[in-house]
Amino acid sequence: MLLKFDKTDEIIVRRLQKDARTNFASIAEECGVSVDTIIKRFERLKRNGVVIGTTILLDPRHFGYESLASIEIDADPSFVKVIVEQIKKKQGVAFCTPTMGAHNIFMIALLQNVKELNILRESVKSLSHVRDVKTSLWVEDLLLCPENFELSQIMERI
Amino acid sequence: MDEIDNKIIVELTKDARTSFRKIAKNLERSPDTIINRFQKLINDGYIRGSTVIVDPHQIGYEGMAAFHIDVDAEEVDPSTILVALIKMPSIIVATKTMGDHDLLALSVIHDFNHLMRLGEDIAAIPGVKNIQTSLWTDGKEISHKYFIV
Repeated sequence: MLLKFDKTDEIIVRRLQKDARTNFASIAEECGVSVDTIIKRFERLKRNGVVIGTTILLDPRHFGYESLASIEIDADPSFVKVIVEQIKKKQGVAFCTPTMGAHNIFMIALLQNVKELNILRESVKSLSHVRDVKTSLWVEDLLLCPENFELSQIMERI
Repeated sequence: MDEIDNKIIVELTKDARTSFRKIAKNLERSPDTIINRFQKLINDGYIRGSTVIVDPHQIGYEGMAAFHIDVDAEEVDPSTILVALIKMPSIIVATKTMGDHDLLALSVIHDFNHLMRLGEDIAAIPGVKNIQTSLWTDGKEISHKYFIV
């Protein structure tokens, strides 16, 4: 799909990645265009699917979620899709996908404490065709960096 | 946190650009109340910031990768490596872990060459002993979740 994406779009996305509430007037000033242009461009970015939306970043620990962990699963390859669907339904599963590489499935769990995490781990392990489950508890404040998305690549494609 | 704080969070999670005036009207409070509450939620650490959710596929990313990293802890403090990791373009989450490995980095991936280059760059960080990589293609969902996490 051919996307229209230029320097103005890049600046809009960059500024909003750092702070989604940035006012459009200040973005307009940086781009040297009118506020209306920024509003239209932002609408276009949403329409063509580049921008899905805006949201706030919450600290799970402040909401009672102490245990964040990634889990790697070895399973019978022909049952991976079924297992992924079963796991997605479990409470505390933030993400689950089939993978290529050392293991078949990768998932991220967000739970209130280690006890709950262990209950989840055991319930995953007891699924049929699951062979092995490896858990890594995220111990240090995870570092998030949404602005690490490289935008220059799309501009090169046009 | 009370009902008002909760509603502010729910509204802004759906759309971080919702005007405080609109939230105020829905909650039958003054815009100043909402602004003060929002500021307090930030100061107390409940809200860490706001961001735009970009569809990785639309901007040229074909998939995602998880790099499980083992560190030679005698030589280098894993925290040093953590800081180096998050500075690398395309790595969107990095954390120390307890379990089979020492660190985890999640990255968005353009293509196979990009994946290879990233793996090499991580391996080149002093103190990195071993890297185990997992790859997947449905990155959209995680970027959603990860931003909400």
